[in-house]
Amino acid sequence: MAEVLRIEGLRKSFGALEVLSGIDLSVARGERIAILGSSGSGKSTLLRCVNFMEMPSAGRIVLDGQAVGQETKGSIRYAEKELIRLRTRIGMIFQQFNLFPHMTALQNVAEGPLSVLGLRKTEAEARAAQYLAKVGLTEKADEYPSRLSGGQQQRVAIARALAMEPEMLLFDEPTSSLDPELVGEVLEVILDLSREGRTMLLVTHELGFAYHFATRVLFLHDGRILEQGTPEEVLRHPREERTRAFIGRHSSFAF
Amino acid sequence: MDYEFAFGEVFANADLLLRGIWLTAALWLIAFATALVAGLFLGIARGSTRKALNWVATAYIEVFRNTPVLVQLVWFYYAFPVLTGIQMSAFTAASLGLCLNTSAYCAEIYRGGLQSITAGQWEAGRALGMPYWTLMRRIILPQAVRRMVPAFTNRAVELAKMTSIASVITVHELMNEARTLATQSFLPLETFTVVAIIYFVLIWPGTVAASLLERHLAAKGA
Repeated sequence: MAEVLRIEGLRKSFGALEVLSGIDLSVARGERIAILGSSGSGKSTLLRCVNFMEMPSAGRIVLDGQAVGQETKGSIRYAEKELIRLRTRIGMIFQQFNLFPHMTALQNVAEGPLSVLGLRKTEAEARAAQYLAKVGLTEKADEYPSRLSGGQQQRVAIARALAMEPEMLLFDEPTSSLDPELVGEVLEVILDLSREGRTMLLVTHELGFAYHFATRVLFLHDGRILEQGTPEEVLRHPREERTRAFIGRHSSFAF
Repeated sequence: MDYEFAFGEVFANADLLLRGIWLTAALWLIAFATALVAGLFLGIARGSTRKALNWVATAYIEVFRNTPVLVQLVWFYYAFPVLTGIQMSAFTAASLGLCLNTSAYCAEIYRGGLQSITAGQWEAGRALGMPYWTLMRRIILPQAVRRMVPAFTNRAVELAKMTSIASVITVHELMNEARTLATQSFLPLETFTVVAIIYFVLIWPGTVAASLLERHLAAKGA
């Protein structure tokens, strides 16, 4: 399968703290990758480096065979314009939804096509309506986010990312701030998307969901990929002691 | 007190006061409109992480907030021409002084308002691929401005009253005309009573309109 994303020697430090210590990863079109790891393992930072919400300290991101940035004398410089263009091709869904509170659900979804892609208002709204329908929220189109449940807000946020018709979707703990009874509806929507052959990277704590969702599971530890493989391999038959311990902790209250 | 009020003569000179009202309104509108725009850029600069930009904005804001407006206007009208050789009309000097002063206060309002918007809003906009100014215009400012409406109302009211200081540098706005009238007619009590009422009638509807706007914005959610 064709490679859409390649990460080479990615490092990221915040001050003296190194969060990512050399990540190499190749993602093929249509792959669904679940990124697991305990907090502080660098999984969110890895995701956020892909669309340059965080600037890598070192290493290279290659998108569709094109290296991002200009390499001069061993360091890479990034032009804001290039990053802006890149972000239009990569959708991101946040833990806190981050919907625009001054816009209705429909306006939230239409905003990207309207002000970034330059679609006409009627076209942008038609597209927004289409993606709201896809996440099952047609009847909430005219509601403001403050009137929506957390689960509905996150579904609107997914529609907002989809409306840009991106090549890849990044989910940063999409259900971590939801009440347990609202987690299901969001996971259903994500699972639906996975059937369309979209390329998706998902940071999550829901091991069960990762198992059903992913084509590949990564386990991060101390800023490195400690183990990776199919969900069956990593979640059912982990090779590494730390992976086993992590999975054990997460299922200690299963019944 | 057996003082005989003689409002008749004040009303007989209504044209003088009307001219004053017109100039007061013009000063107020020009200074406020320009200060709203200048204040935005100053406020952004003030919140900037770029040191030089931040420093210049901070210095500007502190100078204008920590000296009396009266001194600023007098300085622009009398000292500035000596320094530069550029003589402005009293009206221009007053507009400029009031604008610069108010923009310093507006900058702080903008900065506070912009900082009250959570990082998540910036992130969501950036993740969609919005350039800085698109993000500012479409996402950040519309939310921030709602929170700033009460502070801007205060500023507008404050500025409307500050325009009376322009009378000192011979701008023929309401206060200046009133002083002329009071001196000529020997009726300071009546004249300044009428003028006080005029200021109230001019400014009060603005306060009411602002509180209605505030309620309207609150009702729209957010």
